[in-house]
Amino acid sequence: MSLKGQYADLKASFSAQPPDLAKSGRLLTQLKLGLIQAGLLLPQGDLNAADLVVAREILEIGAFWSIRTQDVPSFDRYFSQLQTFYTDYATLPPSQHEYPIRGLHLIRLLTQNRIADFHTALESLPAAAVESPFIAHPVNLERWLMEGSYAKVWGARAEAPAAEYGYFVDSLMGTIRNEIASCEETAYESLPLKDAATLLFFTSQSELLVFAQQRGWEVNLTAGTITFAKKGEETMDIPKERIIAASLLYARELEQIV
Amino acid sequence: MPDVEMKPAKKDEKDKKDDKKSDKKDEKKEEPPKPPPTPVQEIKYNVVLIERGVATLEPRFTNRAMRTQTALRKRLDDVVLRNAIDEVFVKDTPTKQSLLSWLPEPPPPTEAMEVDSAAAAAAAAPPAPKAPLPTAEPVPEVDMYFRLLMMHHFETSPSTYGKALDLGHQTVEKMQALNRRSMDPIAAKVWYALERAYELGSELADARPLFLAAQRTASLRHDDETQASLINRLLRSYIHYSLYDQADKLVSKTTFPASAGNPQFARYHYYLGRIKAVQLNYSAAHANLQQAIRRAPGATLAPGFYQAVHKLFVVVELLMGDIPDRGLFRHPVLEKALVAYFDIVKAVRTGSLSQFQTTLAKHAQQFEADRTFTLIVRLRQNVIKTGIRRLSLSYSRISLRDICVKLHLDSEEDAEYIVGKAIRDGVIDGKIVHERGWMECGGLKGGYGPEVGEVFSRRIGYCLELHNQSVKAMRFPLNAHRKELAAAEGAREREKELAKEIQEGDHDDEDMGGEF
Repeated sequence: MSLKGQYADLKASFSAQPPDLAKSGRLLTQLKLGLIQAGLLLPQGDLNAADLVVAREILEIGAFWSIRTQDVPSFDRYFSQLQTFYTDYATLPPSQHEYPIRGLHLIRLLTQNRIADFHTALESLPAAAVESPFIAHPVNLERWLMEGSYAKVWGARAEAPAAEYGYFVDSLMGTIRNEIASCEETAYESLPLKDAATLLFFTSQSELLVFAQQRGWEVNLTAGTITFAKKGEETMDIPKERIIAASLLYARELEQIV
Repeated sequence: MPDVEMKPAKKDEKDKKDDKKSDKKDEKKEEPPKPPPTPVQEIKYNVVLIERGVATLEPRFTNRAMRTQTALRKRLDDVVLRNAIDEVFVKDTPTKQSLLSWLPEPPPPTEAMEVDSAAAAAAAAPPAPKAPLPTAEPVPEVDMYFRLLMMHHFETSPSTYGKALDLGHQTVEKMQALNRRSMDPIAAKVWYALERAYELGSELADARPLFLAAQRTASLRHDDETQASLINRLLRSYIHYSLYDQADKLVSKTTFPASAGNPQFARYHYYLGRIKAVQLNYSAAHANLQQAIRRAPGATLAPGFYQAVHKLFVVVELLMGDIPDRGLFRHPVLEKALVAYFDIVKAVRTGSLSQFQTTLAKHAQQFEADRTFTLIVRLRQNVIKTGIRRLSLSYSRISLRDICVKLHLDSEEDAEYIVGKAIRDGVIDGKIVHERGWMECGGLKGGYGPEVGEVFSRRIGYCLELHNQSVKAMRFPLNAHRKELAAAEGAREREKELAKEIQEGDHDDEDMGGEF
């Protein structure tokens, strides 16, 4: 079967309602082999623009497909393959899927707490990109996360601009809960169970209890409070080794000077 | 006209003074020429310097010739170049032919040109005897030098950009085929000119494969100056297209040659600072930018670079939570350029979120042009932190509602999370009492602890580093130690004599003692 036929097939099966994920997966594997044979998977030099657009679209479908099947490493692979098309072949007609995919990549970096990579990726986008809702969403999330407005992040769950964003929400919420928990450990001495549940966005007490167990919090069920263990009475130990090493270094340097 | 002549003339005299200072030991004294040199004369003087550099294998002569480049560049034209080539290349050789073929045919000799060449000939007379022009073909470095000058000349007008590019390609090929170490300082500049040609033709991205290949060759040949220049070219090209990922990889895969000149180092540190700032590694970025400022030429010599570095420097300092020195914004070169940044600093300092937003909106265009916009947007959280810190210092107990009102936050809920995060990040010392809905602030810590030692050790480390760097940067003339040896020999002699005298004196004393 020709590449063109498979491509049409893939498009059909992926845009069907509901999409046929298993079949798309099979087709994608075959198409990738075809792309390699045509030298289009990792394009180099001057190639036919129409061919490149098709190759790009196949990879874009692949990226969406991997998120639907919750296969994040596969998404990463598709994304790095797509980067060649987005940056090195800027002469191609812009793809309408570019910003959604870039936005998904940004969210993915956020869920892993790779903030430095997040900003590097963001910096490489043109200024106009930030106005696109697909990019603005992760940018706002990052800003709220950084300043600590976790309630806003929680509220923004429903505002995801594309269906695929929802797949990352769960892991993002996990990240946020851990952030909040670590803040609570230092900021509070004790907290009523009910308030702790609201702060951590838990709807039922049992979920909270499981979470508290994981973090090693003391739960007092009769009084209905959580007590956070203070991490010791911050013992002030003198960093002996460091001071000795530094003094020796000074002595050596001084000797060189004199 | 006299206006234009004045500046280079002064510069030349200064150069001469430099000459005299460094030449005193190994060269016979030169008379500083009185008349302001014409461009042709200056070119010829530089040719002499280059030839001397090649003959003595001393790159610093060539470097000195390169130093006049900036001033010279502005005064070049077709006639000047043609005359200079005619005078330097005495015989009609293929090299000369190929050089002249790049220049347009000379116009019929006009009076002005006569005067110019006559003046040049007259002015060229004094330097001629001190280093007689070789009758044979000049060294290839001179050929390269002329090609460099021509490239710079072509880059002044859009109609000849293409020509500059072609010439650049030809020159680079020739340069790599020759593979002469004495050519390195010129080669580094040729690469710069080639990049400029690409950039003016707005095809900077196309130049990258060429530069990458050349960089590999240069590092294999231990051609430090070309390597330094090329790494900077590549970084610039990456950052121009915001490819920070690639730039970062290039930095991690290459080592910047330690022997590179200060201007190259300054650029390199600036690019590094930019990359590090984007990656949120602010303290490293701060260190790099500081180096860039220190290594760069003075504020008045290269104001553009000075301003660009300081813009980034101010932002990075703010991101680190420090407030830049106010004196910086009064600096004559920086005052105008940094107005927008000064406003931002004021907003961050007062911790007012609304003021920050209005300032950001007001100067957004400038920040985008300076490519600092995304960095400044990140300051938002610093503004909030500063605000919380101010509150925690002035109140021992404050309700979350008041915090929310004072910092213009959206809701009390947000305020609770934000304060919690500030406590965890160590911005403030305190705790939240949820039941009562207030924040209790802990007292101030004493200023003594291990942190003090750390700060001291950092400062000491910096001073030691500075000392070592300056020792390394010292240059000693060849054979100078002989003189010192002789002096030491003399001193020893004197000492011996002195010892003898003392001995004799002792005897005298004793004799005298005996007499008393």
